[in-house]
Amino acid sequence: MAGSSKQTLKLNLKIWRQEGPNEKGHFMEHKAEDISPDMSFLEMIDVVNQQLIKKGERPIEFDHDCREGICGMCSMVINGNPHGPEKATTTCQLHMRKFKDGDSIVIEPFRAKAFPVVRDLVVDRSSFDRVIESGGYISVNTGNAQDANTLPVRKENADLAFEAATCIGCGACVAACKNASASLFVSAKLAHLNLLPQGQVEAEDRVLNMVAQMDEEGFGACTNTGACSAACPKEIKLENIAKMNSSYAKAKMKSRS
Amino acid sequence: MSKKLDSKVPSGDLQEKWTKHRFDMKLVNPANKRKFNVIVVGTGLGGASAAASMAEMGYNVMSFCIQDSPRRAHSIAAQGGINAAKNYPNDGDSVWRLFYDTIKGGDYRSREANVHRLAEVSTSIIDQCVAQGVPFARDYGGYLANRSFGGAQVSRTFYARGQTGQQLLIGAYQSMMRQVDKGNITMFSRREMLDLVVVDGKARGITCRNLVTGEIEQYAADAVVMATGGYGNVFYLSTNAKNSNVTAAFRCHKKGAYFANPCFTQIHPTCIPVSGDYQSKLTLMSESLRNDGRVWVPKEKGDKRHPNEIPESERDYYLERIYPSFGNLVPRDVASRQAKFRVDEGRGVGETGVAVYLDFKDAIQRLGKDAVSERYGNLFEMYEKITGDNPYEVPMRIYPAVHYTMGGLWVDYNLMSNLPGLHVIGEANFSDHGANRLGASALMQGLADGYFVLPYTIGNYLASTELNKVDTNHEEFKSSREEVTSRLDKILGVKGNKTVDEFHRELGKIMWEYVGMSRSEEGLKKALEIIPKLREEFWNNLSVPGEQNYKNSELEKAGRVADFLELGELMAKDALDRNESCGGHFREEYQTPENEATRDDENYCYVAAWERKENSGKPDWELHKEELTFENVKLATRSYK
Amino acid sequence: MSNRMSYFCSTIGRKQLIGLTGIGLSLFVLTHMLGNLLIFVGPEAYNKYSHALVSNPAIYIAEAGLLLIFVVHLLLASFINLKNRFSRPQKYAVASSGPKKTTWIQKTLWHQGIIILVFLILHLITFKFGTEYLVAYDGKEIRDIFILVRMAFEDPKYVIWYIFSLIILGLHLHHGLASSIKTLGFNHPKYEPKVNCIAKAYAWTVSIGFITQPLYFYFFYKG
Repeated sequence: MAGSSKQTLKLNLKIWRQEGPNEKGHFMEHKAEDISPDMSFLEMIDVVNQQLIKKGERPIEFDHDCREGICGMCSMVINGNPHGPEKATTTCQLHMRKFKDGDSIVIEPFRAKAFPVVRDLVVDRSSFDRVIESGGYISVNTGNAQDANTLPVRKENADLAFEAATCIGCGACVAACKNASASLFVSAKLAHLNLLPQGQVEAEDRVLNMVAQMDEEGFGACTNTGACSAACPKEIKLENIAKMNSSYAKAKMKSRS
Repeated sequence: MSKKLDSKVPSGDLQEKWTKHRFDMKLVNPANKRKFNVIVVGTGLGGASAAASMAEMGYNVMSFCIQDSPRRAHSIAAQGGINAAKNYPNDGDSVWRLFYDTIKGGDYRSREANVHRLAEVSTSIIDQCVAQGVPFARDYGGYLANRSFGGAQVSRTFYARGQTGQQLLIGAYQSMMRQVDKGNITMFSRREMLDLVVVDGKARGITCRNLVTGEIEQYAADAVVMATGGYGNVFYLSTNAKNSNVTAAFRCHKKGAYFANPCFTQIHPTCIPVSGDYQSKLTLMSESLRNDGRVWVPKEKGDKRHPNEIPESERDYYLERIYPSFGNLVPRDVASRQAKFRVDEGRGVGETGVAVYLDFKDAIQRLGKDAVSERYGNLFEMYEKITGDNPYEVPMRIYPAVHYTMGGLWVDYNLMSNLPGLHVIGEANFSDHGANRLGASALMQGLADGYFVLPYTIGNYLASTELNKVDTNHEEFKSSREEVTSRLDKILGVKGNKTVDEFHRELGKIMWEYVGMSRSEEGLKKALEIIPKLREEFWNNLSVPGEQNYKNSELEKAGRVADFLELGELMAKDALDRNESCGGHFREEYQTPENEATRDDENYCYVAAWERKENSGKPDWELHKEELTFENVKLATRSYK
Repeated sequence: MSNRMSYFCSTIGRKQLIGLTGIGLSLFVLTHMLGNLLIFVGPEAYNKYSHALVSNPAIYIAEAGLLLIFVVHLLLASFINLKNRFSRPQKYAVASSGPKKTTWIQKTLWHQGIIILVFLILHLITFKFGTEYLVAYDGKEIRDIFILVRMAFEDPKYVIWYIFSLIILGLHLHHGLASSIKTLGFNHPKYEPKVNCIAKAYAWTVSIGFITQPLYFYFFYKG
C-alpha cells in the first residue's frame, strides 16, 4: 500500500538443477535474501541469479517470457504445486507477499515423460505442438473465407469456445495430473474448435487424430481427479474432458478405418 | 552520399493502387512454388500468418522462433482488439475513414498508399480469423460484437474479451501447424537468429544459434522474412516480453538494411508503476480503464497522505482540467506526457512518487460496484495480484510505460527492405503507423502484412529476380558463421564484473531519462555522449558465466543488450535530428505554450532511414530520406481541447 | 492425417472399457449386497436364496460373464496403470497441497484395486470354495452357507480384514463410479453435482450394506 514500508523476506530455496537432458539432476540449496514482498516469483529468481553470477556460480535456467500470465512459457512446480499455491495464477504472476519470512520453497521442473528436462527448470513442451499439428486447427486457406457475419454462432457456444480457447498451453495440467495426462489441454482445443460451426466439418477427424497423437507422445490417462483444472492458470473446465471422451467414442464407432 | 529512397508505390488512384499492383505483379508458376525456400524469422501475428499463407500457396517455408513454441510470440499479450472497417454497427465506418484515422493518428508521418492498403485488407482479416475459429465476442443474435477503442468515433474494434492478441495468434499458429503437418513448413523453435547472410547483394539465408545445444546452425533460402517485432526493450522496462529484442533486425541493419524512424516509440499511459529496483517488466492494463476511471494527483507537492484521506477540493483532476472536451480520454501520447509533467512537478504519488492515481470511486458510485466489476473485473484482479491493493477501495496507481515501437527496418510498398530479398513485416518494419499508432491497429497491421500483403509481393520478387543456387557451403555463409562464433567468444571472453542485467538496466535508465517520453536537445546530446561510454564499458567489464555449447540465458541476453547499446545511440541520434514534435516523439523545444506538440511539415515530412557505417571501429550512421507526400489528406494539427 | 490406433489400444477407449466394466461390477456388488441382507431375515431365507442362485443353470453363464468383466477391468487397469507410471518416470519431491491438492483417495485407486483383488480371492476361497455344510429344509438338503458365514465372522481378525476391505471397496467406488461416468462422456454442469452425490451415496450404501453383516454376527448374533 502507498506509503507503508515493507519488510523484506529471507527464504530457503531447494531448486532442481540438471545440466542437460541426459544428465542426472539433483536438488541444490540456495538462499534468497532481501526479497521484497512486491516481487514476482520470477523476479525473486532473477535476484538469486544475479547473486549467483556475482559469486561465479552457474545461474538457474528457467523459462519465462511475457511475465504477465499469458504466453504460457513459465513453468515450475513450487512446493508440489504447478505455478505455485495460488489458483488461476501463473508463476510470473505469483508474488512474494504470498510467502512468509523464513519459508522453505522447493522448486522443481514440470515432470512428465512427454516434457523432458532441457536444463534445470526448463522443459521441452514440443509434444503439445505436435498434438496441435495432428488436428488442432480448422483447415481454411488464406483468402477462402466468407464474410465473417454470414455464420452466426450461438452466444453460449461462442462463450464456451472462448473459455476453452483461453488455454495458454503452459502444461500445468500435465504437471499437476498424477498420471501426467494431457487430457485437459487436448480437450480444451477440441472444445474450442468443435463447439463452433466452422469446426464441424473436421470435428470427428480432429478428435481421432489428436487423441492418437496425445497417446503417442506418452502422456498418461485421465482419472478425472480434477487436479488439472485446479492447477490451470486459466481455469479450463474439467467438463471439456468428458466432451472429448464422448465425441471420441462416437467418432471411433462411426469411422471406417 | 544521401540517397533518395524509392518507396515503389504504384501509380494511379489511391483506392486502385493495391488492386492494380496485384494485377501487375508477376506470379510464380504453381509447379515452381515448392522449389522456392523462404525463411520466416518470428512467429507472432506477422510471422505465423505469413508462414502459413505462403506454405498454403506451395512455397517451402522454414520458420524460426526464439521461444519453445511458436504460440508464445509476444503478439499473444495484446489485450484490446483489432480494427477493421467492416461497418457492422452501421455507424458510418468505411475503408476511407479507417485510412484517414490511421494517417491522422500517426501524425502524418506514414505512407499514404501503405495505410490505405492496410485499411482495405482489414475486412478480410476478420473474415479469415473467424473462419479459423477465432472466438471473437458476439451478441445474443450470434453476430460479431464491436466496441469503440482509443477514442475512435466509430465502433470498429473486434475483440475476444481481454485476450484478442492471444486468440488471433492461436488462429495463425494453428494454421501454421497445419502446414507443419503437411510438410510445407519446417519449424525451428528455440533458435535465435544471429546474422543475415547476404550473397551477391541479396538476402539468402540466416545464421542462428540453437538455444538448447548452443550449436550454430545455418539455413539458406531464396528470400528472408523478418517478423521479429519491436525494440521496446531497449528501455529495459517496457510492456514487452523479456525475450523481445532487436538483435535479428539489428543484424540485418548491420548487413545493410536501413533502420527507419527509430525514435518513434509509443508510451502507453495506463501501466502498473515500477515498485522497486528488481522490477523486470511492466504490465499494461487496457486503455479502456480510462473510459470510467478519473486521473488525478494531489494539488500539493509531496502530499504523502493516503489517497482516501485527500479531500475532493485538494485533488487535481488534471486531464479534465486541461482538456475539458476529451478529459480522461485524450490520446495515449498526451495522457502519458501529462502524467510525466505531474511527476516532474513533484506531485507524483505512491511510495516511489512516480505514479498518478486512476480513481474509480465516482464510477462505482454512479454505476454500482457490480457494473464496474462487469466491465473491468479481470483488470482489477490483475492489478490486485501484482500490487496487493484493491482498486475497488484504493485508487489505482498508474504510470506510462514503453509499449510499442513504430520505427523499424525500412521497407518499400512491397514490404521489402533496401536489401533485395529481405522482407520485413509487422512491428519490425516502420511503414504503417507513422509517428504514433492507434489502439487496436497493431494486430491489424501484423495480420494484414502476413496474410494479405507479403504472400503476394514476395511472389513478385521471386518471379522477377534471378536467383542462383546458393547453399550453406557458400563463402558468405562461412564468414557469417565465423563472425557469429567470434562474437559469442568475445562476449564470453570479457570476464568482467558487471552482469548483463546491470548494463541493460543502466541503458534503460539513460533511454527513459533522455530518449523517453519527452526529449530535449541537451538531453539527447547527453545520451549520445554516455551511451557509447556504457557500450565501451560493456565490452570491457561484462560478466557472462558458462559456455556456448548448452542453454545459456545470460549469453543470449548479452548478445541482445550489445545490440540495444548501439540501437539506443541510433534512437538518440534520430530524435536529435528530428527537430519537431510529432506523435510519440516529443521535443521540448517544439511545443505550444500549452505544452502541445508542434509538427514541422515543411522540413520533417519524411521518413528518416539510417544506414549503418563503421567509423574507425565505432558505429556511425548516414541519413537517407524518403519524402512523404500526401495527395489525399490535408495535414492538420491534432487538437483535443 | 496421422496414424490412428484401435479404440481398444487408445487410453480413452481403455478407460471407457474400465468404466463400463466398473459400472457392471458396481451393479453386481449392489445386488450381492442386497441379497446378503437376507441374512437378517434368517438362516432359511438366506440359504434358500443362495441355493436358488447356484442351482440355476444360468449361473455358469453369469459367472463366466462376471469373470470376463472382472478380468477386462483388471487387465486394462493394469495396462493403464503401467502407462501412467511410464508417463512420469521422475516423481515430484513434494506432493501438491492446498487448492491444487489431489486427494489420497484419487491417488490410490490402483492400490485399492489390488486390495480388492486380494480380498476377492480370499473371499472366494472362504465362501464359494469353503467347507460345504449341509442343512435340510422340507426334506431337501441344500448347502448351509449361513453357518459358514457365521463361523467366519466369529474370528475378530477376519472381521477386521473384511471391514477394512469393504471400506476400500467403498473408497474405490467413491471416486471410481463418478469418474467412470465422466470417462464415458457425461459431465454437464447442471447435473454433475447431483450425479456425483448419487455415485458417492451408491458407493457407501454398498460398502456399509456389506459391513453390517460382520458387525451383526460379531456383536449381536445370539444363534
